[in-house]
Amino acid sequence: MTTFEAPRVEVVENALEPTTQPRRRVKRKTVNTIIWFVALLALTAIVLYPLLWLFLSTFKPSSEFASNPGLIPENPTVDNYVKVVEGIAGTPLWRFFANSFFIAIMAVIGTLLSSALAAYAFARIRFRGVGILFAAMIGTLLLPFHVIIIPQYIMFNKLELVDTYWPLILPKFLATEAFFVFLIVQFIRNIPRDMDEAARIDGAGHLRIFFSIILPLIKPALITSAIFTFIWTWNDFLGPLLYVNSPEKYPLPIALRLYNDATSTSDYGATAAVSFLALVPILIFFIVFQRFLVAGVATQGLKG
Amino acid sequence: MSTETESIVTAEAGSRSVRQAMRQVRRDEGRKVPSSASRRKANRRETVAGYGFLLPWLIGFLGLTVGPMIFSLYLAFTKYNLFTEPEWVGLDNFVRMFTEDPNYIQSVQITLVYVLVGTPIKLAAALGVAMLLNYRDRGSGFFRSSFYAPSLIGASVSVAIVWRAMFSNDGPVDNSLSFFGIDIGGWVGNVQLVIPMMILLAVWQFGAPMVIFLAGLKQIPQELYEAAEVDGAGPWHRFRNVTIPMLSSVIFFNLLLEIINAFQVFASAYIISNGSGGPAGMTNFYTLYLYKRGFADLQMGYASAMAWVLVIAVAIIAFILFKTQRSWVHYAGENR
Amino acid sequence: MFNIRKRRMAAAAAAITASAALVLTGCAGGGGSEEAAATYDPDEEVTLNLAFWGNDVRAALYEEAIAAFNEEYPNITVNSSFLGFPEFWEKRQTEAAGGGLPDVMQFDYSYLRQYSENGLLLDLEPYLGNIIDTEPLSENILSIGVVDGETTGIPTSTNAWGLFTNPKLLEQVGVEEFEGGDWEDYTAWVKEVSDAGAGSLWGGTDFTGRIQNFEIQQRAKGDDLFTEDGEPNFTEEDLAAFWEQGEDARAVTIPQQRLEEIYPVSGFDAGLTTSELTWDNFGAGYLANLGAEYTELGLVAPPVTEEGAQDLYLKPSMLHSIASTTEHPEAAATLVNFLVNSPEAGAIFGTNRGLPASETMLEGAELDPIGQQIRDYEESIAERLGDAPPVPIVGYGTLEEKFRQLGQELGFGTLTVDEAVEQFFNEMDVVLNQ
Repeated sequence: MTTFEAPRVEVVENALEPTTQPRRRVKRKTVNTIIWFVALLALTAIVLYPLLWLFLSTFKPSSEFASNPGLIPENPTVDNYVKVVEGIAGTPLWRFFANSFFIAIMAVIGTLLSSALAAYAFARIRFRGVGILFAAMIGTLLLPFHVIIIPQYIMFNKLELVDTYWPLILPKFLATEAFFVFLIVQFIRNIPRDMDEAARIDGAGHLRIFFSIILPLIKPALITSAIFTFIWTWNDFLGPLLYVNSPEKYPLPIALRLYNDATSTSDYGATAAVSFLALVPILIFFIVFQRFLVAGVATQGLKG
Repeated sequence: MSTETESIVTAEAGSRSVRQAMRQVRRDEGRKVPSSASRRKANRRETVAGYGFLLPWLIGFLGLTVGPMIFSLYLAFTKYNLFTEPEWVGLDNFVRMFTEDPNYIQSVQITLVYVLVGTPIKLAAALGVAMLLNYRDRGSGFFRSSFYAPSLIGASVSVAIVWRAMFSNDGPVDNSLSFFGIDIGGWVGNVQLVIPMMILLAVWQFGAPMVIFLAGLKQIPQELYEAAEVDGAGPWHRFRNVTIPMLSSVIFFNLLLEIINAFQVFASAYIISNGSGGPAGMTNFYTLYLYKRGFADLQMGYASAMAWVLVIAVAIIAFILFKTQRSWVHYAGENR
Repeated sequence: MFNIRKRRMAAAAAAITASAALVLTGCAGGGGSEEAAATYDPDEEVTLNLAFWGNDVRAALYEEAIAAFNEEYPNITVNSSFLGFPEFWEKRQTEAAGGGLPDVMQFDYSYLRQYSENGLLLDLEPYLGNIIDTEPLSENILSIGVVDGETTGIPTSTNAWGLFTNPKLLEQVGVEEFEGGDWEDYTAWVKEVSDAGAGSLWGGTDFTGRIQNFEIQQRAKGDDLFTEDGEPNFTEEDLAAFWEQGEDARAVTIPQQRLEEIYPVSGFDAGLTTSELTWDNFGAGYLANLGAEYTELGLVAPPVTEEGAQDLYLKPSMLHSIASTTEHPEAAATLVNFLVNSPEAGAIFGTNRGLPASETMLEGAELDPIGQQIRDYEESIAERLGDAPPVPIVGYGTLEEKFRQLGQELGFGTLTVDEAVEQFFNEMDVVLNQ
């Protein structure tokens, strides 16, 4: 379908050689980079403004939220943080962080393992029933999860797993989030088959092809999945709400909601402060892992 | 794409032994005619391997997902208040939905607007920014993190606090628009402007498709661009003839998933309206309405019926999208 | 010291009456009631789950209360869990359907019938008068938690419908406090404030958006909204007439759009209106949301529909209930008794859960000014207090919310009164046939 004439290998080799570029081109490149930089900076400013607002508002007393929609607090205070760090009803704040961290890490491991395996089967192995199973997997994406909450709860309750982390973690090891399976499928299908077929001729089985050829090539997809799983699990509210009973086992999102109960007073200041603190770990996680988004590809490029 | 392109990718990524093996394949080609018996044996081996790889997913699918799904399908034809046994009512729920429930019709309408307007804007923004970020790696880490940051907060209460503040009367949005002479006041309580406000919230949190686009862009061999440039292709040409086809599998993924997600928009509407779906039902999106019917009003039969209408509607859209794949989605691994 | 002695004696008395209670319950003919030994053996090691809704402040109070409880009953371990109100109920609904309700729950009036009728809550009858001290609880109050002849909830506190005003803001615009009168007088007073407020302050919120205002107007005519059998007791004309009254009110109250912007807090919370008709236990929350510069509120009786009518009533602001599945009903009842009756609980909670309903708990409570004000208010309206309506029908919460939304749409002008009435009755049909 594409009109693009594929380049020949020699061309590529040419391109890889260090070439001396004409000076005018360098200049154009610098100008482009400056435009690029300014455009991104402007966009960033717009996108980050609400977050800046949120950050500054953590220094507003709660009663100021309704009266002062501005950026700068009128009566700046650190009370919100002081209050938040104390924790809730005897459970210190770090506990909620630790809980969230544990659940999220387990979720990342489980999701990566199980989703990549399933995705390989869907993308690379031809067997009876693969089409129907693939459709079924896509089908699980379509049903609003609210209607399956109760039957699932009944199951975990019968298994006596309520008030443990199992209902939150076990599904991740069973690739129940079709999003990630499908995502990885798409990336695997984009990898040329020549290599794994060659490896097969060499006598490699699916397991070896999966681990030594496919996995390294889908690093960007794996990193993406890891980032999303971590962040989404970190932010998940409904799962822990239903399955965790003891406050000392609560992850952050539940703890966060406790500062803001509509039937008593809503402590907006503390809510904003907690949610800002809750942002920090996932922001760090993202900053660390987004580097691999490049690294994965760079090493891939260097291999030849 | 031709084999040459693929061999570039292979040459870049494969190890030496693999490349040797590949040459071997080329040499072997044409000579290899497997007998039907050995093919059957191979087929069986493939089937075993396939189900082996799928095992965790299959356990989860059969153990955790299928049962509840079938149960909810059954509930769609019942009256079920969570406490007493479901009572079979045939098609009553569906009849009520389409003929007696003005809130349902309104909910469908606003959800369609949200999907049809919001999804293209969000995807375009995500792709545009991803390409900007992909322009160079040095220094883009900061920008990448900045653009993803809004998506980090997910749908916590503070999103509601921020977003309502941004769009309130005399808030930043109102003030900036006033600066340009557009005086429309606050968006939050304005029945006409609430949906645009919700769409902008979705667009603001465009981090997920952006990162996926970015990962997809990283998968495109840089050499293709350089080669195209050598051939004299301009930026538009490169975008149209290299980026789009090479990214099409990822575009397809994002398109499908964002449509599905938009149809199921729940958390943001829930927190912005504090669960009410207001003002005047303008944030009462499909899944929020379904949730309220199921859990607040305890009409789980009706909620299940709503869920399955949504499943069928989105399944039709997904089916059509999968059918169109052939004409525009390119898979480097399946083009032969 | 004295209190504790008294309680020990009470426990002893309870032990003595245990056999009597056994006989009594046996007589009532409840199947399997013999197992229900009506005392808790203090040596028995028991673990109870306690669930409540509230914020971090209330959670700290419960922690304290549990510690006080454990001084007396060291062998009962109480695991408490708490959530915000909507999440609390979402979780309970799931547990109710899937099994696994906590032993002791803080309970809401609007869900009481639903859970009781489906046998999810323990009938407390066998424990009343022994484990659960009934003396400090008036007949009126105990009867609130009775559904179909079974006592399934004990009110912790009561509240009544009232009219809050904001004296500081009234002074700013130079308008006198509302002096009482009928609904037209109230609307006229609201108009006076709104006129003086000139677009930045209003006299109140459209009262026709709240089903309770409709309820007290109907009660003034002698009708509860629903009969004992759960049948609606008002006509489409009644409702249309009520919402039409609102047309005058809507012209002078705070605009709906303004309210939307500040939601979930109310206009009164945000200092944008000078009055609000609501349950009297909202006072403390209002003061907190208004901020430090506001130190007092006015609290007066709602407008009068019919002179001399008993249109108001006491409602539990929350109750304590026990799950029917509990393995330790005696220990659970012991905990409930402590939470609703003990002076210690009174001292710890104050008015956090509303004005204590039990006399002993009220004695222990040190009332803050607003708590005292609410107490005085509930005494002052004694003349207007009638019998409480039957426990709300199943799905009442849905109707209340629907009523609020329709009122909102009337405010926006996106619906006519007739359309709103039709929608409400449609919804009621569905709810009643659930």
